[in-house]
Amino acid sequence: MFEKLVEIICNYVEVDAENVKMESRFMEDLGFTSFDFMSMLGELEDAFDVEIEQQEVSDIRTVKEAVTYLESLVEK
Amino acid sequence: MTYSTIRDILVEAEQKFNSKDAIRYKVAKDTIAAKSYADLKADTESFSCVLEALGVQKAHVALTGMTSYPWLVSYFGIVNSGNVAVPLDVSLPMEEMCELIDRSDAVALVVDEIRKDVMLAAKQKCPKLRYLISMQKEVSDEEALSFGALLKEHKGSYDYKPNPEDLATIMFTSGTTGKSKGVMLTHRNMAENATCFDMKFPERSVLLTVLPIHHAYCLSMDILKGLSLGSIICINDSLIRMAKNIKLFQPNVILMVPLMIETMAKKLQDVAGLPPEIVKREVFGEQFHTICSGGAYLPPAMLDLFATYGIDILQGYGMTECAPVISTTMSWNIKKGSVGQLIPNCEAKVVDEELWVRGSSVMQGYYQMPEETKETLVDGWLRTGDLGYVDEEGFVYLTGRKKNLIITKNGENVSPEELENRLSESPLIQEVLVRESEGVIEAEIFPDYEYIEKKNILDIPAALQELIDNWNKQAPAYKKIYRLKVRETEFAKTPSKKIKRY
Repeated sequence: MFEKLVEIICNYVEVDAENVKMESRFMEDLGFTSFDFMSMLGELEDAFDVEIEQQEVSDIRTVKEAVTYLESLVEK
Repeated sequence: MTYSTIRDILVEAEQKFNSKDAIRYKVAKDTIAAKSYADLKADTESFSCVLEALGVQKAHVALTGMTSYPWLVSYFGIVNSGNVAVPLDVSLPMEEMCELIDRSDAVALVVDEIRKDVMLAAKQKCPKLRYLISMQKEVSDEEALSFGALLKEHKGSYDYKPNPEDLATIMFTSGTTGKSKGVMLTHRNMAENATCFDMKFPERSVLLTVLPIHHAYCLSMDILKGLSLGSIICINDSLIRMAKNIKLFQPNVILMVPLMIETMAKKLQDVAGLPPEIVKREVFGEQFHTICSGGAYLPPAMLDLFATYGIDILQGYGMTECAPVISTTMSWNIKKGSVGQLIPNCEAKVVDEELWVRGSSVMQGYYQMPEETKETLVDGWLRTGDLGYVDEEGFVYLTGRKKNLIITKNGENVSPEELENRLSESPLIQEVLVRESEGVIEAEIFPDYEYIEKKNILDIPAALQELIDNWNKQAPAYKKIYRLKVRETEFAKTPSKKIKRY
């Protein structure tokens, strides 16, 4: 899950995969804009075959939080 | 054709395009439903009947939610029955939403169930509120009335002709002092702004509406202008699925803010080696031809980049106080560096380098804020707060801002003072300056070192970051602070002891 997420993250922002950590924050550390983040979530829906609701993701700040959220959707 | 009331736009469009699709929206992953112009007019009139039956007349009705068919029906039903609609940002924190409902004197609230918290709190916090109407509830209950059930129960026609000078909408916009201001717009303000200029879009163009519906730019240009041209307005259900929805709805035109355009540009540059026509077909579809950009500054390089894919970017300039368009570029008449030509109902002059505009789109004032109104409206002229000039052909050029307001790339206005005042409430902070830096909001803080020493706080940046994290938890996305700078010395001051901003 983490590796696949990192691969997709690197398509959106100019960052090397080894610099993406579980504790990295999307906006502050990785340089995402709010719209980059929304667009990436759309790609994650396809990559993990899940459905993401916009209002459920407003609290996600770190890669770890995204992984936890995606895992909860995959388990459903 | 220029229309002077919102009702005229809808009535004329319904006569001309009757059974043709007006609104398309998703009902399941890849399933689209549609409502015709006749459906839209009939449902909005039924909603006007609902309001009459509830005794809501010449009153203010707040509405909040994602863009949806019920939202649109409610909006037209409110303004076309002599009432005033107050569209509110669905992402506002509950306290702020309730404060605006109360301050706007709304007697009813039409609300999307995603704001259950507001539904529960509003009854206590907004004493003037008499009715809550849920957009999704199938049957009315103690919590709220059902939009669908009310519509069925009061199905009927409603023949009321609003006067062009009647107030139609109050839209809240950030004030420089941090208190949101309710911009009062009449039917004429809104209808003439949307219809007084011809962008030469063919009738029945397909639009995908992606911007928040409580924004004047979206309401005026996507909805009012779209309907006046008999367009098919497709509702993007979520920004998460915008790329998929472009493929699903196959639009010709999308209104965007610069942040969206720049994100798309990055993705286009990733596939720069592929033939442009293939990229365009895969990303936008062959039918796509125009992006209208507004809300904030767009780097001119974007125009060239998208032109290589055969896509025009038409840049506009405006503000809620002008309903909102002041100028726009047309595909056949572009001057780079300009934000377009003044639209026909708008004239401009420059006073002390500041752009002032006048015309039938200029607001009536700020709701119950006479002082702020007096500062902004001078003898019928609207002071835009922007520095700039107009050339002899009416093209507008912006050179800076007079007002201290952050305009983010997604077109939201943020008052730095509001954020500074909130952060300053903490004893950790002696002075703070909030500004935009590289596309994000940054707070530069001079901590109260005496207090910090007394409290034996060792990691000052961590303590300040925690403070900012707490602010971010409850702030809407566009007001979140993503960068922190800690100062060791006080800020330089102006002679009046204010922090020097620039």
